[in-house]
Amino acid sequence: MTTLPLDIRQLEKTFGSKRVLRGVDLQLPAGTVLGLLGRNGCGKTTLIKCALGLLRPTAGQATVLGDDAWHLSAESKARLGYVPQEVVSYPWMRVRQVIAYTAAFYPTWNQPLVDALCRRWQLPLEDRVGPLSVGQLQTLGIVLALGHEPELLVLDEPVASLDPSARRQFLRVLLDILDEADAAGNRRRSILFSTHITSDVERVASQVAILQDGKIRFHGELGELKDRVKRLRITAPADLPASFSVPDALDVEIDGSVATVSVNNFSDRLVGELRETWNVEITVHDLNLEEIFVEMHGG
Amino acid sequence: MTASANLFEINPSSGVPIYRQLIEQVYALVAGERLRPGDMLPSVRQVARSAAVNPMTVSKAYSRLEAEGVVQRVRGQGMRVVKPPKTAPLRKRREQFRMLAHAAIVRARQLGLNESQIREVLNEVTDAILQEHT
Repeated sequence: MTTLPLDIRQLEKTFGSKRVLRGVDLQLPAGTVLGLLGRNGCGKTTLIKCALGLLRPTAGQATVLGDDAWHLSAESKARLGYVPQEVVSYPWMRVRQVIAYTAAFYPTWNQPLVDALCRRWQLPLEDRVGPLSVGQLQTLGIVLALGHEPELLVLDEPVASLDPSARRQFLRVLLDILDEADAAGNRRRSILFSTHITSDVERVASQVAILQDGKIRFHGELGELKDRVKRLRITAPADLPASFSVPDALDVEIDGSVATVSVNNFSDRLVGELRETWNVEITVHDLNLEEIFVEMHGG
Repeated sequence: MTASANLFEINPSSGVPIYRQLIEQVYALVAGERLRPGDMLPSVRQVARSAAVNPMTVSKAYSRLEAEGVVQRVRGQGMRVVKPPKTAPLRKRREQFRMLAHAAIVRARQLGLNESQIREVLNEVTDAILQEHT
């Protein structure tokens, strides 16, 4: 059996009286790019830190590359790349020196890759780290996390401080990394990144997980989510009765003879049943990830 | 010949999943004869790279197309277009058109058109388009 790069079971984390994580289950299959979505302050960073052994969970467990997260071995750490939300580095060093310093910790370090990334992202190698902008610092963090070509790459809001063109470049690099792994065959890389920018998830993620109220509300393929969550515009010949309802609706708005309903379990059959039961006309509208996210959080 | 990867127009932020956009576009390209039997689809890698989307998503679309009998996997070469795909059953096509027409007519009502005005416009449009194609 192959071990999952990341395996989180019934994870709970409480800060004082605040229960941030209330039993999170999340498995990351090898070769997957998973986008972790959630509102600001919903616990994405806490989840990532617990998953990587940077915070001790209150209950439950997390394993990284088959290793218990709280007792990660040096071997597992060498196969893991992590970019925190706020990159902390050594302000007195030059960019070039920070890279050399970090490289020394790893038995495998791909300097040509690092050089190429620094050029592509125009990192000022001779500048000191201290005065770098937040975006530059984040870019540096990403370069440092990619240098040892980790099997599992975890990024907490990786693009939050990047400008749109740097963001697009970064997404391409993520895809290149996956692509290289595919070409090499056996070592399949996996990526988990948290974000609240849904369009980035739509582009590169093959799976999406939505963290809400301390639990994973949805985890699956992005295409599956878009196939499942739809908005129905329902028109009746007369005012809809007070008893009008749709099973598993995320949101229902009724205005006289017209209703707008978001459903979580769309199927042609559901539409057929609604038509027959209520004698209504129905049009189906696709929702993109941002709209789905908003619907799931109550509009 | 192998079709170019720019053949596809992907919009990741659409409500239509990327794999479905790819499937629909292959069908459309075949119907419009821009892809002919024997042509090779661009490789998963090329499409993923040119559209900056996840290769797994492209590969999912290709597998579906293979299952639907539109393309055939040729070992070491990729996906070959085999034949014009069967069109969806009439019931399904009618349903698709019905939804489009519904939206248009609801809009017409919002614009304040009455029944005869709506029917008149529909007839005009139908005539114009059908004439153009005969």
